[in-house]
Amino acid sequence: MVLAVASKGLSVGYEEVDGVLWAVRDVSIEVKAGETFCLAGESGSGKSTIAGAIAGILPPHTVTKGELYINGRTVIRDETRDYEGIRGRVVTYVPQSPGASLNPYMTIEEQFYSVLKSLYGLNKRESKERAKVYLQMVELDPDSVLDDYPHELSGGMQQRAAIALALSTGARILVADEPTSALDAHLRLQIVEELSRLRRETGVTLVFISHDLLLAGAICDRMAVMYAGVVAEVGGARAILEKPLHPYTLMLVESTPRLDRRKQLKPFLGEPPKPGELTNGCPFFNRCPSRLTVCAVKMPPLMSIGGERHVACWLYE
Amino acid sequence: MWHVGSTNDSMHVELKKVNAGYYTIEGFKSIRRKYVQVLNEVSLRIRDGERVAIIGESGSGKTTLLKVMLGLLQPVSGEVWVLGQNIYNMPKRDRWRITHKIGYVPQDPFRSLNPRLKVVDIVMEPLERSKFSEKERVERVSEAFKMVQLHESVLNYYPSQLSGGMMQRVLIARSIVHDPEMILLDEPTSALDVSTQAQIISLLNSIQERLDCTMITVTHDLPVAQYLADRVVILHKGSIVEEGGFEEVIRDPKSEHARHIILSYTLSVNSTNLL
Ligand SMILES: Nc1ncnc2c1ncn2[C@@H]1O[C@H](COP(=O)(O)OP(=O)(O)OP(=O)(O)O)[C@@H](O)[C@H]1O
Ligand SMILES: Nc1ncnc2c1ncn2[C@@H]1O[C@H](COP(=O)(O)OP(=O)(O)OP(=O)(O)O)[C@@H](O)[C@H]1O
Ligand SMILES: [Mg+2]
Ligand SMILES: [Mg+2]
Repeated sequence: MVLAVASKGLSVGYEEVDGVLWAVRDVSIEVKAGETFCLAGESGSGKSTIAGAIAGILPPHTVTKGELYINGRTVIRDETRDYEGIRGRVVTYVPQSPGASLNPYMTIEEQFYSVLKSLYGLNKRESKERAKVYLQMVELDPDSVLDDYPHELSGGMQQRAAIALALSTGARILVADEPTSALDAHLRLQIVEELSRLRRETGVTLVFISHDLLLAGAICDRMAVMYAGVVAEVGGARAILEKPLHPYTLMLVESTPRLDRRKQLKPFLGEPPKPGELTNGCPFFNRCPSRLTVCAVKMPPLMSIGGERHVACWLYE
Repeated sequence: MWHVGSTNDSMHVELKKVNAGYYTIEGFKSIRRKYVQVLNEVSLRIRDGERVAIIGESGSGKTTLLKVMLGLLQPVSGEVWVLGQNIYNMPKRDRWRITHKIGYVPQDPFRSLNPRLKVVDIVMEPLERSKFSEKERVERVSEAFKMVQLHESVLNYYPSQLSGGMMQRVLIARSIVHDPEMILLDEPTSALDVSTQAQIISLLNSIQERLDCTMITVTHDLPVAQYLADRVVILHKGSIVEEGGFEEVIRDPKSEHARHIILSYTLSVNSTNLL
C-alpha cells in the first residue's frame, strides 16, 4: 500500500545568522492513506514545521535533510524540494492562524473563486455554489458571510471559513494545523464530526495538529507526540492516552485541566531546551522525573514496544 | 468635563446600556454605509481586582465587548466607564492615558504582532511613555520573558520566526510588562499545549494577585475559565443572558444558553471520554 505521507530521517531547520536552528530532527513517520494522524506536543516542538513540510509551504530560508514522500512521490530529498502538482491539489492546508490563509483584500466569495478557478477552472457561479456547500458544513450562513471581508468575521468564523476553503479543494490529503483552537466546544464537535464524516465518505487522509490531547484521542487513529523537534512516542491514539509511556506524554496527560475536579493545576517545571542548546542526550532530560544516568549522554532512539507502539525512552529498553 | 470620577470608584469597568456594532461599506454604484449592531443594551459592572470570564458562542460579540472596553470601538449609545473615566466622553487623544494602563492579549497572535519589529521592541512598547529608565525597561522585559517561559534569545527574533504558542506568550509578556491596572485576555491560551497552558494560568493568577488588578478573560474553554475567574458572564447574540459565580453557573445554569454551553462542553468531553 502506498503511504499518504512518509518521512525518513527528516530534519528541517531555519537558517539563522549564526547557523541553522534545527526545529525538526530525524523524524520518521508514516501516515496511511485514509487514516487520521495527529501530531501533538509542546509549543515550539516543531509541529507546524512538519505541517509546512508536508503541505509544501516551507519558507525559502529553510534547510532540509532526509526524505519526505507524498503518495509515494519524493517531495524532499535532502536539499531538493519539489511540490509541483502536489501543493494545493493533492495536499491542502489549514494554517494555524485562521486569518493567515485568508486574503485580507478579498471577500470570502472571491477567495473561493480564486482558489477554485486556478485549481479546476470553475467560473464564478460554480465556485459560489461550491462555496455555499462547504460554508454550510461549518455552520456559516453563506448569505451573510460570502460578501464579508475576513476582518469582518470573528476569530472562530475566520477559522471556519479557512476550513471550508481548504475542504472545497477536494484534495486527498488535508493538513490541518490547530483547526479548532479558536472554537468553542459546540463548534469543535461540529467540525470534528464533519471531518470524520468527510473521511468516511471520501476517504481523505487527515494530518491533524493539535495540542488538545482529548480531541486528538477522539478523532485520530494514531498519533505522534513531539518534544523539542523529535518524536517522543508514536502509536494508537487511544492507547497512548490510556497508558502514556514516555514521561513527557504522561506529563501532558496529567496537566490537562478538567472541569469537575477543582484541584490545583500541576504546572510542570522547567522549559524545553532551545534548539540551539541540544546535547547528545535526551532533550527531556532536565525536566524528566524518572531520568536515568544514560539519558544525559545518549539520545534514546524510537524503540518498538510491540505492535505499532514506539517510544523514545531508555526506561523501555 | 470628562475628568469627573465615576459614580462608584471601586468599579473598574462599568458599561451602561451599551449598543455597539460595525459600519460596513456596501454596494458598487452608490456606496452606502450599513450599520450592523453587535452588542445590545449591555450593562456590566466589574469591581476593582475581580477576575471575570466572558463566555459565549463564536460570533456572540466577546471580542467586540473587549474592544469597547479598550477604547477601540465607540458605542452608538450608552456609557463606558473604565478605571473611573467615561472613556468615550473624553478627547480621543487623552484616551490613551486610561487605556495604556490596560494590558491586552488579542485573539489572533499571528496577526497581532508587528512583523517589522523585533520581539524585544514589541514587548517593550507598553513601557514607552512610562517613568521607567532605560535600564529598568530592559530588566522588566527580560523578567516578563522569563515568566512566560521563553528563552532570552527569542527577544532578538522577528514574529515570523516564532511558533504559534511562542507568539501568544510574547503577547502575554507584553500585556504584563508595565504592571497594568487591568488585564484583558482574548483566548489567551488557545495556542498553548497543556503544560505551557498550566504555567501561563498560574503565572496570570500570580500576577493578578501581586498587582491586585482586574482580570477579564474571554475563553471558550470552561476549565480555563474555572482557573482564571471567579465570576462568569454569558453572552448570547450580543446580550448578557446570565452572570454569576463560576461554580453556581456551572452547577445550576439559569438560562437556556448557559445550559447549552455547559451541555455541549460535557458532550464533547464525553465523546472524548478517555482521561
Ligand atoms: N519561519 C521560521 N523562521 C525561523 N525559525 C522558525 C520559523 N518557524 C518556526 N521557527 C522555529 O522553529 C521552532 C519550531 O516551531 P514550530 O512552529 O514548528 O512549532 P510548533 O510545534 O508548531 O509550536 P506551536 O504549538 O507553538 O505552534 C521554534 O523554535 C521556532 O522559533
Ligand atoms: N470589523 C468588523 N466589521 C464588521 N463586522 C464585524 C467586525 N468584527 C466583528 N464583526 C461581526 O460582529 C459579530 C461579533 O464578532 P466578535 O468578534 O465580537 O465575536 P466573538 O464572540 O469574539 O467570536 P469568536 O469566539 O468567534 O472570536 C460577528 O457577527 C462578526 O461578523
Ligand atoms: Mg504551530
Ligand atoms: Mg473573538
